[in-house]
Amino acid sequence: MKNLFVMGLGNSGKTAIALGLALKFKAEGYQVAYFKPVGGQGCPGSTDVDAVLMKEVLQMSAPLEVIAPCSAGYSYLSKSLHPEWAELIRNAFAELSRDVDVVVIDGATFPHALAASGMDSVSLCKQLNAVALSVLRVKNDFGLDAAIFFNRYLTNQGVELVGNVFSHVERPVLAKIEGIYQPILDQMGFKTLGIIPVQPQIAAPTVGEYYEALGGEILVGENRLDSLVEEVVIGAMTIESALTYLRRANNKAVIIGGDRADLALAALETSTSVLVLTGGLYPDVKVLARAAEKGVAVILVHYDTYTTVEKLGRVSRHIKPGNKEEINLALANIEQYCDWAQILAALQA
Amino acid sequence: MSGIVSLTNPRSIAVVGASKAPGKVGNAVVVNLINSKFGGRIYPVNPKEKTIEGLPCFPSLAAIPDEVEAAVFTVPAKAVLKAAEECGEKGVKFLAVLTAGFKELGREGLEMERALVDTCRRCDMRLLGPNCLGFMDTHTPANATFISGYPIQGEIAFVSQSGAILAAVLDRARSLGIGFSKVISLGNKADLSEVDFIADAADDSHTSVIMCYIEDVNDGEKFLATAAQAVRKKPLVIFKSGTSQAGALAASSHTGALAGSDVAYSTAFNQCGVIRATSMRELFDLAVAFANQPVPKGDNLAIVTNSGGPGIIATDWAEKQNVKITRFTKETINALREGLPPEAGIYNPVDVLGDAPADRFRFAVEKVLKDENVDGLIVLVCPTLVTQPVEIAQAILEIRGKNPDKPIFAVYMGGETMAEGSAMLAEAGVPCFDFPENAVTAFAGMANYRQFAEQERKAKELPAFVPDVKTVKAVFYDVKRDNRLVLLGSEAAEVVAAYGITTAPTLMAHNPDEAVALAENFGYPVVLKVASPKILHKSDVGGVKMKLDSAKAVREAFVDIMEKVHHYLPDVTPHGIEVQKMMTRGIELIIGMTRDVQFGPLVAVGLGGIYVNLFKDVSFRLASGMTVREIEQQLAETKAYTLLRGYRGEKPADLATVITTISRAAKLVTDFPEITEMDINPLFVYQRGVAAMDVKITIS
Repeated sequence: MKNLFVMGLGNSGKTAIALGLALKFKAEGYQVAYFKPVGGQGCPGSTDVDAVLMKEVLQMSAPLEVIAPCSAGYSYLSKSLHPEWAELIRNAFAELSRDVDVVVIDGATFPHALAASGMDSVSLCKQLNAVALSVLRVKNDFGLDAAIFFNRYLTNQGVELVGNVFSHVERPVLAKIEGIYQPILDQMGFKTLGIIPVQPQIAAPTVGEYYEALGGEILVGENRLDSLVEEVVIGAMTIESALTYLRRANNKAVIIGGDRADLALAALETSTSVLVLTGGLYPDVKVLARAAEKGVAVILVHYDTYTTVEKLGRVSRHIKPGNKEEINLALANIEQYCDWAQILAALQA
Repeated sequence: MSGIVSLTNPRSIAVVGASKAPGKVGNAVVVNLINSKFGGRIYPVNPKEKTIEGLPCFPSLAAIPDEVEAAVFTVPAKAVLKAAEECGEKGVKFLAVLTAGFKELGREGLEMERALVDTCRRCDMRLLGPNCLGFMDTHTPANATFISGYPIQGEIAFVSQSGAILAAVLDRARSLGIGFSKVISLGNKADLSEVDFIADAADDSHTSVIMCYIEDVNDGEKFLATAAQAVRKKPLVIFKSGTSQAGALAASSHTGALAGSDVAYSTAFNQCGVIRATSMRELFDLAVAFANQPVPKGDNLAIVTNSGGPGIIATDWAEKQNVKITRFTKETINALREGLPPEAGIYNPVDVLGDAPADRFRFAVEKVLKDENVDGLIVLVCPTLVTQPVEIAQAILEIRGKNPDKPIFAVYMGGETMAEGSAMLAEAGVPCFDFPENAVTAFAGMANYRQFAEQERKAKELPAFVPDVKTVKAVFYDVKRDNRLVLLGSEAAEVVAAYGITTAPTLMAHNPDEAVALAENFGYPVVLKVASPKILHKSDVGGVKMKLDSAKAVREAFVDIMEKVHHYLPDVTPHGIEVQKMMTRGIELIIGMTRDVQFGPLVAVGLGGIYVNLFKDVSFRLASGMTVREIEQQLAETKAYTLLRGYRGEKPADLATVITTISRAAKLVTDFPEITEMDINPLFVYQRGVAAMDVKITIS
């Protein structure tokens, strides 16, 4: 049986799809392992949150440094080309694949990452005897162009492409994917194997993930770190117009200066998950009391609003190992919206 | 709320935390109770003392042999909860917690305050404070505060959220000889709030007017109901601070609650007949005026003065306050002509001239007050060589005795020479002001009170209407399922249409072909508008195309809108594009609604379209319980009204349908509390009928 390499851009929903497919294959009676050859950050293995999740969910006996042997950051070349990684990956894969039917391989944040060292997703896919599944998060027509461009590269490189899965599909785009994008892909010989609608439960980052990205201090709501953040609103408006803006956003993070008690209180009257107070300005105690009453977390950060917003751009969502509901949703998505049988057939071919 | 009457009239009071040491709060309360000649029993409680101020002191509440009806707490914050438990066991009914250190200090304090409220609820006790000065009742009498000085007996009930303001007002009132019936310091309003004491004072036979200083209200709906009830019995004058932007911020920080918008407070006060004072001075003046003067039968004001300037100032101010400077009857004018020197001004304001002795004032005041066209009088006196301030005061007091139905206000402009006469008037209950503006404002407040009472009698209910609630529910269900809070234009149009509001035909297209099909169906010309809950101002991002009169134009506009929107907002994917039949332009109105955090839905009406932000021509009403008359008045307050009635030879527009439309919008937002914001802008108004062109709705 072949292995499955799930690739796509960061935040495209690769891991959720890898998780769902792995669980499905397992349910179909196959022995499944998860492999993440190139992790995102920090020291090898131990910090890769996706590896931690999959180890637990798939009950893998392999240690984390085998499941995720390498880790490359934005400046990985500063040290060297890391020729040793190739061997690390080879050995880890050999160990993981020994007793299983199929390995689900999760690509790096970008498919092109580590191309300089010959360990980009496409090269690894060929080396690891895998077929490719390309996960797309398309927001506009150019997004589809990028997907086609990448599909063609895969086939030119001799990789077997099973097909594309559209993930995090927002309702306004749904009709367009079905009516325009999918026919174009069909015409070019690329299969669409799934269209998964966006689900805030697994797409929206949690307050905890915001806190990790921002640092700072949690002033209230240590027990609210699991709340979802679906939208971000910057509170720089007058109090009269504030409610109008704040009411339009659901489960939001509101970023304001710590001295704007009026805006903070207005935000607490609307659907808010977290208040991020910038500039290191401690808020009025009454704001904290009200936040505690409303069950909203308050994070104090010491940088300005612009920097805060920049940092928020890097927040991404990871499914937590303990969260049954999210894990089940990942599986349900595969069963309901994906042609998993066709993917399985491609692995057996 | 009769249940709280005995708070200020208990048979026995325990002072928990009583002290021997002069200067301590625990001592001041005991001394004040004794000095106020409180007729019930006073029980100081302090385990360390045997007697305090000559009264036997008890080690605990349980040690008091008799029943205790009320307890005043001066113990430290940490000891309050335990003391409250003991009160509960003892069967105490009312607690006045003077102790500070609760909600106002933050989270821990808030938790303590909550625990205190829980204990009170469990033991069936009512709680005043914490963090307050206590209460006074000059008729009980009882002074359970630690303020130095006790007011003279009077008919004004004063309820204040600020202890400092309360103490300052009492001090000033004493120097002016003004008395009070009840004085309540609300503090943190953990349990009892302004609502309870307004209701209590409204039923109190010793109170003729209620004055309040507040920074916020706890429960807008309850406040409206209570205030409306109270106003039917006696005047209620409220000074609410935090009206400015910075003031609201300050109030938010101070009270820890989001202030309802100031316009909501003004609207709410207006609609339930509360007289809103705009300054401390006005609050005071109005309370004094109501306490001592009869309510005028109308807003026709007469002025008698010995100097032209102040007369003009008073007249100017009257116009600003919507008070009429009345026209005298022929008889009055003739009498004045005969009785006054030829140079005197015999029309309103009557100028008795600078050389007027007291007798000339007396003559003019008497004649003017007799006039049936006069509802109230202001006597303006300026010091000249021959002015007789004391004699004029005597004359005014005598004439007042003969005309008990009409209010008289005096203005003694000047200093030392006027002081004696001024004090004489104030003591006898004729409000005497330093400057004309204050007197006019006081009269205006009284006239407004009368006007409100009359309007209430004439109120007309709206005709019954059965809306299509199911459609609205279905639309909201879809929007919520889509995880959105903002309705698309076509959805919002469907919602208001279900409430009988005529809308321009609007439907959504997902591609150019659909758009053309819809346009052909509606008939050209049409308008195309981008549909996305993320876009608040569509035309700012090139999301609106008007006057499209062919299939080709519609196709091009569709693509153009999509590209423009993508250019300005690359991260937003529109749901589609709305095709709307282009309507003939009418008079453009806006009907808006925002849900105030305190008072609920607030409906705004005014000139719509692009003029909204330019002219800010809007008038507000609370949506609940709106009457036809109120809507008419609301419209009449706008400039748009002039247009609707036919400006410069134009034919009048369909006012009746406008009124129905406003009432339907009000019903919609009242029926569906999940609507947090709504805007119909513009609403085209024609000679017959209306059409809503653009509807925005946000739900929660």
